[in-house]
Amino acid sequence: MPTVRLRDASEYPEPARRLFELSRQWFDYDFKEPPAMSRVMAWDPHFGGPHGRAMKRAMAPGEFSRGEKEMVAAAVSGANACTY
Amino acid sequence: MTGDDRWYEAAFVVGITNALNVVADGLAGAAMRPVEPTTATADVREVFTDIRAFYGRGDQARGGGEIPTPFAIIAHDPAYLADVWAAVKRVFTERRLTRRHKTALAFAVSLTTRSAFGTAFHLGELRRLGVGERGVMEIIGVTQMFSSYTKIADTLQLHSDMADIAPVDRSGVPDSGTG
Repeated sequence: MPTVRLRDASEYPEPARRLFELSRQWFDYDFKEPPAMSRVMAWDPHFGGPHGRAMKRAMAPGEFSRGEKEMVAAAVSGANACTY
Repeated sequence: MTGDDRWYEAAFVVGITNALNVVADGLAGAAMRPVEPTTATADVREVFTDIRAFYGRGDQARGGGEIPTPFAIIAHDPAYLADVWAAVKRVFTERRLTRRHKTALAFAVSLTTRSAFGTAFHLGELRRLGVGERGVMEIIGVTQMFSSYTKIADTLQLHSDMADIAPVDRSGVPDSGTG
């Protein structure tokens, strides 16, 4: 069980909900609620905003494709023993 | 061949990378000398030659190029070296995933696990395979950001959002069409 109560999207202010739409576009998947990490990051937009932008910069296609980077991210998560 | 092939390949890269790093880093301060090519037995020299070729270290006129530490250490058991090398070569050979992508995975995992050997070795390999500073920085960025996300997720004990959709291959990982 999560350490915190994850708020539903409707409990967030409008600016955060706009970020959830960007999250949906990023994942290209219609989650019932925004992904847990998106809702966590929206708790503090002054942290989640730049953190999310840094992530998108890192994941954007460049010398490596988005798909290749997703696999690198999965490997890093595995090495960190993270199931999320 | 299915989409799962790519994930098996990735998992094997992660596993064998960690295995090499454990020996190289773990024994770095131990009193265990690597086998020198000049004094190695014929069967070990044969494997060393293959290792040099695979890593583009050539076959220099006098003794050849340097043998990566973990191989030089386990060469004290020639049969074991031969099997480990066969596994490493198989895993890093380009099949569904490109060699540069596999090397990027190895670099990211080595960086994540703070392997001094693996980080330096696979960084060198990335550059040898033609990845520029921008590409290296991309992998560092992905590694750093997901080292952040994973710790936030662990601290808050978040459940995966992806579990229900995992069987569907939405990775977008390009199919190299080989293997």
